[in-house]
Amino acid sequence: MNEFMDKAGAHREEILERLEAEGGVTPETVRKIALATGVPEADVWGAGKFYSLIREPGRRVRVCTGLSCRVAGAAGRIEDLERAGESREEVSCIGQCDRAPAALDPELELIPGDGTRSAVLPDDTALPVNLGGADTDGYAALSKAREAGPEAVLDEIETSGLQGRGGAGFPAHVKWRAVREQAGSERYLVCNADEGEPGTFKDREIMERRPHLLLEGLAVAAATVGASEIIIYIRGEFRDARRSLETALKEAGDHLKQFNVRFANGHGAYICGEETALLESLEGKRGMPRLKPPFPTENGFRGKPTLIHNVETAACVPFIVHHGGQHFRDLGRTGAGTKLYCVSGHVTRPGVYELPLGITLDELVKTAGGYVGSPMAFSPGGASSGFLPMSLRSLPLDFPSLDKEGSMLGSAGVVVLNDTVDLVQAAGWQTRFFDDESCGQCAPCRIGARFLRNACGRFLADGDPEALLHVDDVGWEMEEGSICGLGMVAAKPLTSAMKHFPDAFRRRR
Amino acid sequence: MSERFTIKLDGRSCRAAPGETVLDVAGREGVSIPTLCHDPRLEPAGACRTCLVEVAGERRMQPACAFRVRPGMDVTTASERIDRHRKVLYGLYMADHRLDDAGLPEENGSANMLREQAARNGALALPPVNASRTGRPADTNPYIRFDPELCILCARCTRYCDEVEAVSAITLTERGASTTIGTIGNAGLLDTSCELCGGCIDTCPTGAMTEKKSYGIPHAELEAVRSTCNFCGVGCQVDLNIHAGRVVKVASPPPGETVNDGNLCVKGRFAYDFIHHEERLQVPMVRGRDGELHRASWEVAIRRAADGLLAVRAKHGADALGFVSSSRCTGEENYLMQKLSRAAFGTNNCHQCAAT
Ligand SMILES: Cc1cc2nc3c(=O)[nH]c(=O)nc-3n(C[C@H](O)[C@H](O)[C@H](O)COP(=O)(O)O)c2cc1C
Ligand code: SF4
Ligand code: SF4
Ligand code: SF4
Ligand code: FES
Repeated sequence: MNEFMDKAGAHREEILERLEAEGGVTPETVRKIALATGVPEADVWGAGKFYSLIREPGRRVRVCTGLSCRVAGAAGRIEDLERAGESREEVSCIGQCDRAPAALDPELELIPGDGTRSAVLPDDTALPVNLGGADTDGYAALSKAREAGPEAVLDEIETSGLQGRGGAGFPAHVKWRAVREQAGSERYLVCNADEGEPGTFKDREIMERRPHLLLEGLAVAAATVGASEIIIYIRGEFRDARRSLETALKEAGDHLKQFNVRFANGHGAYICGEETALLESLEGKRGMPRLKPPFPTENGFRGKPTLIHNVETAACVPFIVHHGGQHFRDLGRTGAGTKLYCVSGHVTRPGVYELPLGITLDELVKTAGGYVGSPMAFSPGGASSGFLPMSLRSLPLDFPSLDKEGSMLGSAGVVVLNDTVDLVQAAGWQTRFFDDESCGQCAPCRIGARFLRNACGRFLADGDPEALLHVDDVGWEMEEGSICGLGMVAAKPLTSAMKHFPDAFRRRR
Repeated sequence: MSERFTIKLDGRSCRAAPGETVLDVAGREGVSIPTLCHDPRLEPAGACRTCLVEVAGERRMQPACAFRVRPGMDVTTASERIDRHRKVLYGLYMADHRLDDAGLPEENGSANMLREQAARNGALALPPVNASRTGRPADTNPYIRFDPELCILCARCTRYCDEVEAVSAITLTERGASTTIGTIGNAGLLDTSCELCGGCIDTCPTGAMTEKKSYGIPHAELEAVRSTCNFCGVGCQVDLNIHAGRVVKVASPPPGETVNDGNLCVKGRFAYDFIHHEERLQVPMVRGRDGELHRASWEVAIRRAADGLLAVRAKHGADALGFVSSSRCTGEENYLMQKLSRAAFGTNNCHQCAAT
């Protein structure tokens, strides 16, 4: 037993993994872990209760209630389980929208609704990520980057115009330079593989199909910014992806021996995709976002400079090293490079398609085999991007064009809805998602999301637009007053639907 | 010491030092910014969002309690945007709070800062959100009561318990709209590491964490009398709260004012029942031949004690005597006690109950 209170130290980082190993939060498991780690009981309890995969012990099927799974019949699946008397939990999007309606068995293994392999483009070496290609483990880009040296790599990254693929589209080279220029030698590279934005499943495909490409991209980034530890924070529900990466790490052998590469599991909290919540989670705490500034590049994991990148961002790096930044940049249309667009909902072949940054919805859906039924609305970048009308179908799907429409490219999780869907219902589902996933730290988001969920529910129940009174005020305050990006966009599904589809919100009864 | 510099606060030039927050400077300059989750003893959380101000060059409003000043910074603390923000924010808080008949945040006796601020600023009227929040109704600890429907989740109590007391008996638990203040397994505080210091009560801005013994007595009817805690020699300052001639509650003076910086221990804060206890000795008493205690003058009582002690010394020697003083005595009183023992009676048998 550890005799000293260890509130911030290394033992605290273990508590979530230990809770998972013990089967979840109970007073007994918490006491045991507190004793073994020296972390106060209340802290172990409070941290564990934050995460939906560990907060309640017990075996159950987890049924996805994400938008794509809902429109593909999640309700039927829930009824079936109900009838069979099986214990189940309705959970937020599990990142399997192309196999909707999806679920997870009690071991968190996937129960696909439709198909087991996502649709991707065939092998094409002209594509930077090239999901259909062979995942070689030569680590040639890493050798090349080592020879060229950090400054040369940084210049190529800058030339490439590579923007973060995690949602914000922040220029990668700015973060790399910021971390590299920090004093002190302890620096970290964290890979954000907690993919949780509803409608998004591209990182999953990269990890399953191109694990070496990802590891190599991370290694180049770590070598360039001077980090020796690489931590991959991977969504807890992505069992296949983690196995794939573990195998690849073994195969990589000496190529990566300079780095300490390790995995950390997510434990069921969408908010931990937000980079500072992710860091809190890595440190064994509740996943509540930190105030920024300071930014992680300066004050990140364990308070040290940390470079955090999305899986896809890192996976673009080897191509840039091989072919130069300009080549990558030129592959884009209105933005730099290619982009992995996830598309699901009412399209023929849901999947992940690597296309020039800035293609239109129609082009994307054509690649996915066309619309199913007559399209009515789409979300260009997951729940956070709200709903857009088909009149915007020829808008370039890039960062600035969608920003201008009050939407966002985000993680490029495109969901298409045809006219069989009640848009109020859809907005209600997305609103509920944000309410379920709010960390609860700040009032605009914690209370605002519940207010919106109730408002939607009341309008759906009695059809009286009175229920929607003040949605605009509350939405405005959530955007202005919240601490992090979740609260800032949580009103988007409802406010965008009300803006673009006013007819759906007229008196119904 | 790094160089001081100036910043602009509502158009005025103000001196500021590196490391200070906007709130620090505003406080010094007499510019009032509402806060709820701020406690100067704690690391800023920036969570309640009441203190948001506009900073030139920043797209988003920033929390004054956490945002650090930089040279030449230009801060606005009153604008249409800030006003709208506060109105909706207070409206949201109130939609998630127990309200009284007047439609304002309820007071259970303790002051509720949300009530004052919402009344002063105005709040958007919103329907209640009915978020379910668990409390600990079965917690049998004698002192501390938690009322989840008055909690705004500012986390001052949990941060205090961690950062000041280093106890961490309570924690934020659950998530989202169900977030609440909890303990392991919802245990009563007596079954946790809680030291019943009551600091969580003291820092709570709404009365959600409050005192059981004085529950419901309106704070406006209390008169505070500053005094010194007499349980030990530290000399913590206390505010005795008087209601109808009786001490009904002991509070700590605000942080920063006194040596104890707003903190007290379980004895200073809660063990005040002796003040009005019927068995409390208030006058000198001497036991008579009838075996009963009888009121006496100080002269008579002291004479009687001295005679008894001297008689023991005469019969059995000075080392048959022992002197034990109380931890409630001051250092000076303890000094006099050992002087009495050594110089007046001639024995080293003296002790103090806190000395072991
Ligand atoms: C609510 C919220 C959820 C997020 N979820 C993810 C996520 O699942 N995966 C991800 O890579 N980034 C996510 N982000 C963005 C990260 O905060 C961060 O910007 C990103 O990981 C940085 O990597 P990049 O520069 O490569 O995009 C999220 C942000 C917010 C506000
Ligand atoms: S905006 Fe929502 S998710 Fe983000 S910190 Fe606030 S409560 Fe948490
Ligand atoms: S009384 Fe003191 S020790 Fe107990 S919960 Fe409150 S702050 Fe923590
Ligand atoms: S009990 Fe009081 S101090 Fe604690 S979080 Fe609630 S309102 Fe804040
Ligand atoms: S006082 Fe600044 S956010 Fe609460």
